[in-house]
Amino acid sequence: MKKKLFSSGISMVMVMSMLLSGCGSDSSSGGDSAAKTDTNTSTKTTAKEGADISGKITFLTNRTDMIGKEYDDYLKRFHEKYPNIEVELEPSQTDYNQQAKVRMASQELPDVMFIPTIPNSDLPKYFAPLDDLGLNDRITFKDFKVADGKVYGITSGNSTSGIVYNKKAFADAGITAVPKTWDEFLAACEKLKQKGIVPLASNFKDKWPLNNWVYDLPRLIENNPSFPNDKLNTDTPFTMDNGYGKAMSLLRELNEKGYLEKDINSTNWEQSKKDIASGKFGMYFLGNWVINQVIGAGTTSDNVGFFPLPYDNSGTPSAALSPDFFYAVAKDSENVDAAKAFVKWMLEDSGYEDFAGFIPPLKDKESKLPQLKEFQSGGAKLQEGTVDDPVVTDISNKAQLDLPAVAQEFVLAPDPQKVLDKWNAAWAKARKEVKH
Amino acid sequence: MFGTMSYNKQKTIIIVSFLTIPLLLLGVFTYYPAIKLIYYSFTNWDGYSPEKPWVGLANYREVFSNPDIFKVFEHNFAYFVMGVVQNIIAIYFAVILSNRLRGKNFFRILLFLPYIMNGVAVAFMFGYVFDTTNGSLNLLLGNLGLSGLSQTSWLGTEGLVNYSLASTGLWRFMGYNMVIYIASLQAIPRDIFEAAKIDGAGSMQTLWRITLPNMKPVIQLNLFLTVTGALEVFDLPFVLTKGGPAGASQTYVQRVVETAFAYNNYGLASAMSIILLFFVVFVLLIQQLVLNRGGNK
Repeated sequence: MKKKLFSSGISMVMVMSMLLSGCGSDSSSGGDSAAKTDTNTSTKTTAKEGADISGKITFLTNRTDMIGKEYDDYLKRFHEKYPNIEVELEPSQTDYNQQAKVRMASQELPDVMFIPTIPNSDLPKYFAPLDDLGLNDRITFKDFKVADGKVYGITSGNSTSGIVYNKKAFADAGITAVPKTWDEFLAACEKLKQKGIVPLASNFKDKWPLNNWVYDLPRLIENNPSFPNDKLNTDTPFTMDNGYGKAMSLLRELNEKGYLEKDINSTNWEQSKKDIASGKFGMYFLGNWVINQVIGAGTTSDNVGFFPLPYDNSGTPSAALSPDFFYAVAKDSENVDAAKAFVKWMLEDSGYEDFAGFIPPLKDKESKLPQLKEFQSGGAKLQEGTVDDPVVTDISNKAQLDLPAVAQEFVLAPDPQKVLDKWNAAWAKARKEVKH
Repeated sequence: MFGTMSYNKQKTIIIVSFLTIPLLLLGVFTYYPAIKLIYYSFTNWDGYSPEKPWVGLANYREVFSNPDIFKVFEHNFAYFVMGVVQNIIAIYFAVILSNRLRGKNFFRILLFLPYIMNGVAVAFMFGYVFDTTNGSLNLLLGNLGLSGLSQTSWLGTEGLVNYSLASTGLWRFMGYNMVIYIASLQAIPRDIFEAAKIDGAGSMQTLWRITLPNMKPVIQLNLFLTVTGALEVFDLPFVLTKGGPAGASQTYVQRVVETAFAYNNYGLASAMSIILLFFVVFVLLIQQLVLNRGGNK
């Protein structure tokens, strides 16, 4: 009896392993047939324009919400121009940057992707140069992802940051003109507060909504695009009277006067969009990408306005222009040409930047968004940012410096000077270690 | 075809073939990464580049020379306190639900259900509970007439945030502890209780003298789970507070993850993980020493 049990057990194992190996051979033959059909289609050349380029490419996208919707339309139109290129969309998991880095480590990059946060000197290891697209004279931020004089990444769209506001809330509070100076801005906040409207939704808790306070404002206040990189030359990059101290003090002032959410440590990003749309909250200080999201949260486009944050009393505000993700083509892609054609098409013909609410990546294109037109009607000067110095990034990482987190500490601390001292010390230590 | 083999041979083949797969999985997904982790802790790898420069013990030196890194263990302490409370409540419910009680299976399921839920979903849910202005907890306190308490910033007050987060863990894992306790309660022979009853022992006496001593190994196990759980908290603060306000709820593992993924320092993060591993072993040894003092066997 027992013997029988054992032998039947063994035969079960045998069957299992046969099944497994069966699966393996099945899938490999499937791959073969797919490859065969591929060669079939490529031999049938059509006369249509763009038909000479063929192949199958994958695109790792962060906009998972567009798959099955806008992307379907893009791919259909793309297919009309390039009938022999097959594009497969791969939705990214929540953290695009992290996922991309893991794929880099395993040498399995998708053909088209966005560049994660790596130093520019590493770009040639993973990506193909894009100079032959013929777009070099038309693209913005051309020098941003350059290594050895070659362009490795092209911005998918640009953003500026400013105050996104609910026009009806402003009208209800009796604000007739868009504030041009910091004092006027505070007065507007006071009016909103009197009306029971939360003046500015900071979304303080989530940390990333503070990015513009620490990445854009300091360089604007200093009127120096490379101010963030100037940290390299000092042991005390954070002082009360330089860009960082001043920018964070503005945020602190708003909080002290009660112009932010009632409890800034308990904020809810998704809810805040609805509250801006309905007029319960008055303003955001964020990039222009948020405009379409606010409209989507339940209001009409003509109710949402956009103006530069007047960070001082000069009356002539400027605003920061920053690139979004950069398109790149994997160096080891089997169909580099097809991948490049796709990138070019996305930049020129897709209309992605209007859908995403970006300022167009190509200089000769104009945004279709009324809010961006309003923003620029005030005469705001747009300040293009510069590339992050890799050494500065190294020191920042070594010091575990996360500027939005510093801003959080700065606003919450009883004595903000101590926060600056602490980070200056960390910076000085890391700077010494990295330099030698 | 296996009929001709000797019984022992068949037995060996069966054992080997059945053990191969689990051992392979264990090796590939536990021991191989662990060995890699030790290796990385001696390099300053940035997480993606092909070169992994060897730096010797520099990472360990850095961890021990930075007092900030160990300070975050203070935050983990709250989870330990709540874990102890959780075990006491779990024993309480286990004892009650082992008695004859109408609908006890229903209550058991009710208390166990939170454990089945996904951790991130639980965290997300409690985000709405703890919200200061619109949260259900403050709304409830307000409706109860405790208007002073109903303005509390549960996740925004430095001393409170870790306990708020840990109480979520308590809600979630209490049922799990309870089920383990119930199982061990049922393993205690009934005749001991009967003998005690005949000798005139009260219910408190039975609990202290019979039930708890008999559950000692299981209590030990649960305490171990509590301690390691407290040291390794990650998902709750990651989803709910991102370590805020100003780092007051950052836990050690969260710090490790940030070091690796936000600051691109896999080497240092690996060293921190190895140190955590030794920390767990160390705590476990102390616990064994203290709990076994009475002489277990």
